[in-house]
Amino acid sequence: MELSESVQRGLQLGADRSSVDQRSFQVLVDSCFRSLLSSQGDPAVLDEPELKHVDRIQLKQIHSAATTFILEAVKQNADRSAISSSLEELTFSAERIEIFYSSYQKHKKELERLLASLGRRPAQINDVSWRLQYNTKNKQLDKVNQPFYLISLNTEGPGASEELSFTCTTEQLQDLVGKLKDAAKSLDRASQM
Amino acid sequence: MEEVDKILIHALRHVGTEVGEDVDSLKRFTSDLIVEAVVRCVRVIEPGLGGALPTSLPPGMSARFRVGMSLAQACQDVGYKGEIGYQTFLYSNEPEIRSLLMFLVEKLPRERAEASDQSAGKSAVLQRSIAAAIRTQLAASWVPPNCRLPLHCETQNHGALHSFHVQPLTFPHCTKTSDKKHLKGLPPCSLHFTRNACAPCSDRTGSVLSEVQDYHRDVLPPVTAQASSQASAVASILERHAAELSAAQEWDNDWKSQGLLSRLTPQEYRSRKSSRLRKRIEEQLRSAAAPSPESAFGVSRSASELTELLQTFKGSAPSAHVLTKGTHFTHAQKFTFTQEGAATSPVLAGRQSEGDAQIRQQEELSSLQQQFQQLCSEVDQLAADIKHLNVTNAQVLDELKQRELRNAEEEEKMQVKKKTADLLPDAENNLLKLQSLVEGGAKRVVNLASQWEKHRAPLIEEYRRLKEICSNKDLESNRKLSEIKSLHEKIRVSTEEAKKKEDTYKQLVTELERLPKDASRSAYTQRILEIVGNIKKQKEEITKILSDTKELQKEINNLTGKLDRTFAVTDELVFKDAKKDESVRKAYKYLAALHENCNQLIQTIEDTGTILREIRDLEEQIEAENGNKTVSNLERILDDYKAIRQENAALAAKVREG
Repeated sequence: MELSESVQRGLQLGADRSSVDQRSFQVLVDSCFRSLLSSQGDPAVLDEPELKHVDRIQLKQIHSAATTFILEAVKQNADRSAISSSLEELTFSAERIEIFYSSYQKHKKELERLLASLGRRPAQINDVSWRLQYNTKNKQLDKVNQPFYLISLNTEGPGASEELSFTCTTEQLQDLVGKLKDAAKSLDRASQM
Repeated sequence: MEEVDKILIHALRHVGTEVGEDVDSLKRFTSDLIVEAVVRCVRVIEPGLGGALPTSLPPGMSARFRVGMSLAQACQDVGYKGEIGYQTFLYSNEPEIRSLLMFLVEKLPRERAEASDQSAGKSAVLQRSIAAAIRTQLAASWVPPNCRLPLHCETQNHGALHSFHVQPLTFPHCTKTSDKKHLKGLPPCSLHFTRNACAPCSDRTGSVLSEVQDYHRDVLPPVTAQASSQASAVASILERHAAELSAAQEWDNDWKSQGLLSRLTPQEYRSRKSSRLRKRIEEQLRSAAAPSPESAFGVSRSASELTELLQTFKGSAPSAHVLTKGTHFTHAQKFTFTQEGAATSPVLAGRQSEGDAQIRQQEELSSLQQQFQQLCSEVDQLAADIKHLNVTNAQVLDELKQRELRNAEEEEKMQVKKKTADLLPDAENNLLKLQSLVEGGAKRVVNLASQWEKHRAPLIEEYRRLKEICSNKDLESNRKLSEIKSLHEKIRVSTEEAKKKEDTYKQLVTELERLPKDASRSAYTQRILEIVGNIKKQKEEITKILSDTKELQKEINNLTGKLDRTFAVTDELVFKDAKKDESVRKAYKYLAALHENCNQLIQTIEDTGTILREIRDLEEQIEAENGNKTVSNLERILDDYKAIRQENAALAAKVREG
């Protein structure tokens, strides 16, 4: 994993035994994860009693570097060997790596969900309601006899759900269904790779 | 042999033959098993051939005979070159069966090789992981939204989506320089890179002001609390990190390619680059904001917008030096505004009918336009006049300067002439004095020239020496630069290779775990290596024995040759004396007998040797034949023959009856 210089520096501060001892390290790691996962940014997340003896500025540096590291690790879906090799290069001892990794495992799913919620996605179709109508006559022609489909798709987008309504003839509906089948087939093919 | 059998049995099981668990060598194969194995192999190798063959021997003898013949034919069609017939299947013997099965197993298409033939490229890995993810998602069945359990949440029920919104964050910098001993060997933080950190917070030397430190320590909230929402905090942290990484990489590339060549320290290089960029920006802005009157209308409009933008930056400075020329457009604006200002009053004054007012307005408009045209032309003329006058002014100034120069020269000349005129009355004395002065001056010049030469020579030496040193240093530094570049290249290449090798190693480890654990490869490889070692040893021994044999043969030849020659010589010698002396004749007879007997002895020894060899060969043949189980096969053949005879009799009886 590639890390920028400030992150490396901050993490080295965290590995240093003289500034952060074992117990405070555990508390620090927990508060880092908590600060990322809390829905509202909590300014007091670093005000734990065990962390009072750590220099405030250093504490904030370690906190920012650690949060960046955690997010990068989740983004790249890093496995155990990648994380432990990066932390070893930054002079972390084996127990601290273990502590960090166990917390990481615990919170990984939530962080993944958090990262997955950033972005755009098109709306999803949840339901379909249809009506078949049959035109028998109109003003110009005495005999029309043509079926029409009125289709309304119930989609769910980010946040709101809306209805997408349209009418189509039989051929257009067949076309649509054919395209949907093609899409399903290509998805199958992609999964066979 | 057991290994070969194991491999064969394993391959046959893979094809589909039901080989029992206790059968572990080809000796135990019954005819039925042999037939089934062969048929299945042929079916896999060539489905067309094998379809017609049954997998078990039918009970009737003639049917078995027919099946055997067709099977032999099929094997020959597949390509088996050895001798094969119905007897190989019905009355089998081990070596033939082994060679046949080995041939068939070799011919089996290598499906396993195709499956493991996956490329190890990065895109292939990515595609495979994408395919695996799609497969897991497809495997989960769709559930309507009212019934969704939390385990469906990930793929089907997507929560609130946030857009990737970034907010600037403040990160606390590193503090006093005394902290450097804690930070093992990293360079001090360069404030040029912290994009969102306030640059004015640091003074020139790079240390942080104490007020800023206090702010960082006491007031600054942790980074996750600085953004307005959780999602934007996450997004901002990620974006900042990516920006830092890319800036570091850019600087690296730039420094390695251009910076080293310029031979400046990093700070100097950076400051030079920033000043250069600033100058360029200023130039561009100035050229864009200072339009020329003949420019096209569109450009002048955008230029006027740019000047308005610049004016807002400057505050309220009206008509700055940039805008001295102005454009048609701005003038036109000014005029239309003034015209409107002038036109409003007469309209207000006269409240006559609209038609009248309009006509009047139009008249006024045309007159004002005429005025405007006139004024424009006057302005142009005045501008042209001004230019002309400027040019003449410059010319006159030039002339004035030249005249003054000439004046000064003439004055000098006049001074000289006046002095000589003064000296004329006392001509001879003055002439002598002048001559002595001239001589003294010339001597002084010579003196000075020699002194100058004395000084000049060592200085030139010094200069040349320093120049040489400088050029040497240039060469040295060039060489070192190229070395540094090549080292950078090597570093880059080896890091890339290391990364690639790690990737392939990880991939191969996962593939190895995925591969089915069949007959272990290590047993094969060990066995192969053992066999190779054995063969090498045997080859050495054989060569040694061959050389020994050659030596012995040469000796034998030598000795026989010597023997013949000595015998011939002694024979002659003794024969010559034998005519005269009786004892010599007896000795000659004994000699001949001795020679004869020794020859016979040698002959018998050679015969014994050949016979021993024949015995060994025959023993080997006996062993090979013993493996053929010919006796049991003969009995079986006799029985089958009797059975066929009976069947024939039965069929003949049936034919006669029906």
